[in-house]
Amino acid sequence: MFRSNNIVARIFERQIRTPRPATSVHFARQFYENLVPSYTIYDVECPDHSFRKFTDDGLYLISFSRNHQELIVYRPSWLSFSCKGQDCDNHYLSVGAKRFESFFTELYCMSLASSNELICKDFFLYMERNQVGLFATSTAQIHDAPATGGAVKGVPSIEMITFHLIRLEDGVILDEKVFHNDFINLAHNTGVFLYDDLLAIVSLRYQTIHILQIRDHGNLVDVRAIGAFCREDDELFLNSNSQFMVASDRNNQHESPVNHVENTMHDNLVIPDNSFLTGIKQRLLSFIFQGIWNEEKDQSLKIQCLKKKFYIHFQDYADLMIWKVQFLDRHHLLIKFGSVDGVLSRNADHHPAFFAIYSMEAAEFVAFYQNYAEELYFLFEQFEDHFHAPSKSSLNVNFISSHSNNIHTREQLRCIKNKSSSFSQFVKKALGSLPFPCQSRSPSPYFDQSLFRFDEKLISATDRHRQSTDHPIKFILRRQPKILKFKIKPGPERGSGIGGAKKISSFLFHPILPLAISVQQTSFLQQSVVNIHFRR
Amino acid sequence: MGSILGGWPSYDPHNFSQLRPSDPSNPSSITPTTYHPTHNRTLPPPGQDISTESKNILIRHFYKHAEEKLRPKRAASELLAPENGSKQPRASTSNAPS
Repeated sequence: MFRSNNIVARIFERQIRTPRPATSVHFARQFYENLVPSYTIYDVECPDHSFRKFTDDGLYLISFSRNHQELIVYRPSWLSFSCKGQDCDNHYLSVGAKRFESFFTELYCMSLASSNELICKDFFLYMERNQVGLFATSTAQIHDAPATGGAVKGVPSIEMITFHLIRLEDGVILDEKVFHNDFINLAHNTGVFLYDDLLAIVSLRYQTIHILQIRDHGNLVDVRAIGAFCREDDELFLNSNSQFMVASDRNNQHESPVNHVENTMHDNLVIPDNSFLTGIKQRLLSFIFQGIWNEEKDQSLKIQCLKKKFYIHFQDYADLMIWKVQFLDRHHLLIKFGSVDGVLSRNADHHPAFFAIYSMEAAEFVAFYQNYAEELYFLFEQFEDHFHAPSKSSLNVNFISSHSNNIHTREQLRCIKNKSSSFSQFVKKALGSLPFPCQSRSPSPYFDQSLFRFDEKLISATDRHRQSTDHPIKFILRRQPKILKFKIKPGPERGSGIGGAKKISSFLFHPILPLAISVQQTSFLQQSVVNIHFRR
Repeated sequence: MGSILGGWPSYDPHNFSQLRPSDPSNPSSITPTTYHPTHNRTLPPPGQDISTESKNILIRHFYKHAEEKLRPKRAASELLAPENGSKQPRASTSNAPS
């Protein structure tokens, strides 16, 4: 904590004082209280692109063309102009300084999508270590696609989804990965999770989790595919024994299926069409079975307990689908399971859902919870940061305000908890945000709750479109004196003339510089107003 | 060794041999008193390798919960009597909503 609010006094104090242990980042961040993007250039003349995001290291601004077929990358720079004469502070900025090009230099514009494909403008992942970006293009969605070749019914199909790995420095496409007749939920990075150099892609249609690795040279390499098989050599093992299995089935046709308790694979539960449950489903069912078996200590009551808790719901458990996946560390995945009805719906609160922790190395489940489990909620409350899976290459993720690293956010959560009428409803709502989408929050220090207070409904670190108001959004200092530091007003300076039109705004904050872009779109007019906020 | 280092001992008598006392009018002996350990009880065990636990704390909690479910539950009578007669059983802090 600095003793003075004056920036010069703070710089001097920084020379002579060391911060408290492990708070050097927070100490340095306090300078953002003095350097705020208080000046706005309204309605900048800029190319008509949809601006997506600043990369987390602040080196690039990613945008897509309006027709969703081209990628344009800019380098954010800073204004440089000089002013002759006295009293420069009160001079207006010259017209040249107010241009978009003064802040952003176009690096390149490249075509990503061919004629029948479109870039998914909500999808972008960045790997800071190699400065590579992952983009996705897809063809149109086909609803009511027939469930062929192992596909699940009820999930639409997309003819071709291509992931492009692009080196952002010069726009070279390093590698591509194509999925045919598949469905991957690409909205807001939902179906793909990047951890360090590992990528988890959830194929909803084939119920498989593809794990890929991004090598240093930029190649996308398949590591494993979890779904039908859990270990890399499962398929080989089953195929080499297939002749044995066919023969033994013929012999066992007239015997009733024996329930082997000690086996971890339920391969004696033969489904009428003679196909096995998928590998991951077998692992899950075995884990649930063993959990219930071990819970009941009395040997005579074990079978009763199993009947009540497991076999009654067996078909529901067997029909569970993988909804979303995230990494918790290099070997563990957090998988959300649910029914097929809720797999694509936005508000999945009323669908039953389960969370499971899967260890890829051991190919077995470690934990399984209902989506209103209090045990999981208490872990979530204490260790939310670990659910965001910070990796060595993205250290600034650790400093984004969450309720396990920031007292103000924690207070907000406590208020909501105390106000809620039913604890299990509250738990369900809190756990509904799991698994977290990857790279969905801005690391900008202006969203740090210990520095500034702002209306979370109008603006926040999560990059989503929000309802726009004509009033500017205020950022107020948390510390004494609790004054207004700067305002962000999306939209034109005088407010737009059209009163009742619904406007949505989005904000892109640079992670390091006091620079932000706000874009306001009026829904039916299709035009957008772009403002640049910076520190003059 | 004068007031600078407070007369503390060292394990090597040749340490601090370069030190010159700040006050030349009071030449005190520069060789520090030396102490050597007489036992090896405090030595680290051979082949000890200290490294960070690879599983982060969240994953450790998941594994701990899984192991607790596998462990046999204590009989009710054991739970009622405190393990150490003089101590009070402590309420679990990890699961209490604060």
